Amino acid sequence: MNRRHALRHIALISGGLALIPSCDFSSDDILAAYQKLKVKSSEKELLGAISNTIIPAGEIKGALELAVPDFILVMVNDCMEEESQSRFMKGLRAFPEFAGKGFDQLSPKEKEAKVKEGLMLEGDDTEEGKVKQDIQYFLNTTKRLTIQGYMASEYIQTEIIPYSLIPGEYNGAVLISDLQKPRING
Amino acid sequence: MANLNIKSKQERTYQAIVIGSGISGGWAAKELCDLGVKTLMLERGRNVEHIKDYPTTNMLPYEFEHRGQVPEDIKKENPVVSRCYAFREDAMHFFVKDTEHPYVQEKPFDWIRGYQVGGKSLLWARQVQRWSDFDFEGPARDGFAVDWPIRYKDIAPWYSHVEKFAGVSGNKDGLDVLPDGEFLPGYELNVMEKYFQEQLKKNYGGDRHMISARCAHIHGNADFFAQQGRALCQNRNLCQRGCPFGGYFSSNSSTIPWALKTGNLTLRPDAVVHSIIYDEEKGKASGVRIIDRLTKEMEEFYADVIFLNAAALNSNLILMNSTSSRFPNGLGNDNGLLGKYVAFHNYRAGVSGEFEGLEEYTTSGGRPTSGYFPRFRNVYKQETDFLRGYAAGFSSGRGVRPNTEGLGMDLKNSLLNPDQYGPWYVGSHMMGETIPKESNYVALDPNLKDEWGMPQLKISVDYDDNDEKMVKDYLEQMTEMFEKAGVTNIRTRDDHRAPGLDIHEMGGVRMGKDPKTSLLNANHQLHAVPNVYVTDGASMTSTSTQNPSLTYMAFAARAAHHAVAESKK
Repeated sequence: MNRRHALRHIALISGGLALIPSCDFSSDDILAAYQKLKVKSSEKELLGAISNTIIPAGEIKGALELAVPDFILVMVNDCMEEESQSRFMKGLRAFPEFAGKGFDQLSPKEKEAKVKEGLMLEGDDTEEGKVKQDIQYFLNTTKRLTIQGYMASEYIQTEIIPYSLIPGEYNGAVLISDLQKPRING
Repeated sequence: MANLNIKSKQERTYQAIVIGSGISGGWAAKELCDLGVKTLMLERGRNVEHIKDYPTTNMLPYEFEHRGQVPEDIKKENPVVSRCYAFREDAMHFFVKDTEHPYVQEKPFDWIRGYQVGGKSLLWARQVQRWSDFDFEGPARDGFAVDWPIRYKDIAPWYSHVEKFAGVSGNKDGLDVLPDGEFLPGYELNVMEKYFQEQLKKNYGGDRHMISARCAHIHGNADFFAQQGRALCQNRNLCQRGCPFGGYFSSNSSTIPWALKTGNLTLRPDAVVHSIIYDEEKGKASGVRIIDRLTKEMEEFYADVIFLNAAALNSNLILMNSTSSRFPNGLGNDNGLLGKYVAFHNYRAGVSGEFEGLEEYTTSGGRPTSGYFPRFRNVYKQETDFLRGYAAGFSSGRGVRPNTEGLGMDLKNSLLNPDQYGPWYVGSHMMGETIPKESNYVALDPNLKDEWGMPQLKISVDYDDNDEKMVKDYLEQMTEMFEKAGVTNIRTRDDHRAPGLDIHEMGGVRMGKDPKTSLLNANHQLHAVPNVYVTDGASMTSTSTQNPSLTYMAFAARAAHHAVAESKK
């Protein structure tokens, strides 16, 4: 988790300055912590909104509160091959246009519908089709990593479903009907 | 100017030197120290003290930045070690990285190494099945390699000796191919595995068996192991991180601290062994030359007896690099066979499937072992068109998973309340005996050196036609056994992995009766230099199918007692 702390402290480098037209004074810096992705803070915000649509806050915390977007970017930056990273970033960058009006502006239900639609996009070899494939790849990767990062978070593994380093003696014939667990309401 | 720091020769003289601190070196040192022998243990890597140097042992899943996965950059730089199943974020620090210790692959060979105190005993799979005479008599019966100079009766008491101390859990299965030992209570098979066991009995009339594999875990008799500072296995299945309970056997948790407690052991980490020194006048080995890993300075240590336990291929390397006018081709290498007849275990193939029955059951808790098929091919007589046979791992399990189809609150609720029980997963992997051949060898590269000026090892080891036939037979037989037991959706694989990834490389300094055709005698002494003992994988005449570590432990203990008895003559 060192990187997350580092992010909070030194977070930003002023990358891409030369590319930004001089009239654009909005600060949208490249995040140094994920150097292979060259991801901007606005793109990370969008990723946060998407992951929070996949697992929203309710009675218990959602993906955004658990810093899942940081986890996703760490995994994509560190544990994926270059080609996959590039597909992921292309999909992320193509998503706003796919979402139509700002994703931000949509209601939770609309956001969910949009992500669901994107998860099932089918592409082809045309330029347009490739973009669809990238969006679909980006969203499925994001969903998978959101689930992983959420379930394997400190919060879930300590407060909601405590993880045990000592699982106990093996029982090789447990009747499923004997297992009763209280239902957790998200 | 004279170096005033040079210790006197006397200060650098011991009664015995053990090269290597892994599973066999640990045993050699422990036995020697118990017998009152002042022993120096040399280890090329850094020190790893039990518990203190297990940095990840109590880390929770969320404390690993990549949740266990190895980052892509590390994988790309280290393709060989990255193929090892245990090279994960939690145990990466106990493996040799490709980039740090290069070697020459004349043919593809995944050489997996652990350069630290404890060696690979920290990382091993902890499976401990005894050999039987069906194994020791294999080469003589089937006409390959040379006859083993020992039989089961020679080694059986030493199996018992090491099993009692290391802690081996298992059931008395009463099988002649896999003799019973000194067992702590065994681990139970689960309901599906028991069902499979019954099906085997029904379908093969008692000719094939699947048992709970014997493993080096403490599963009972806690008071006895408390003397070693070890406690009951807690079923964590995080063994590769080093166990804070000492629940499984390693040099770090068991033999080394025990030997240190006798006051007879001196442990010298960071000592890259250059060669064994041969005294031409006395006609025996007189010590060991090392290069300090950090300062790169050379130093010599002396002793009456040397135990070489550097792990199979590195023991070969050290002997080859130990040249003198008496032994220009490597210590003890009068017949030119040093480095040859290297063999391994064939782990290429696996079969998996699903079982739809027993759907009312699942499992809970953890266990450190699984099922095991002892060899059933060509045991009593030759019955196939290939020599020898294979053992196989077997396991079955069933977990609960959430439905991950939805999104939003639906997804969140199903993640938090997983309720989908799939069918039982059923899996097996082969462990095939390979036939040692002169053409499978290791040698010193004439040009390439490592960072310490040591020649790089050139490895030339490959499969042969016998291995191909065995893979085919395993896949056919296991598929048939699965089908007859009602397993469905059966998938077979032959991943064509390179030799080495089994981490069971053996031979090159084989035992035998005749100095013309072997390097070591029945007591693990070099025929030509009897005060040098080799008791690790290098000494193996044939490989059989069982995981070899238990046999190395028994060899090392037996040889240590032999060495002490000899010194008293």
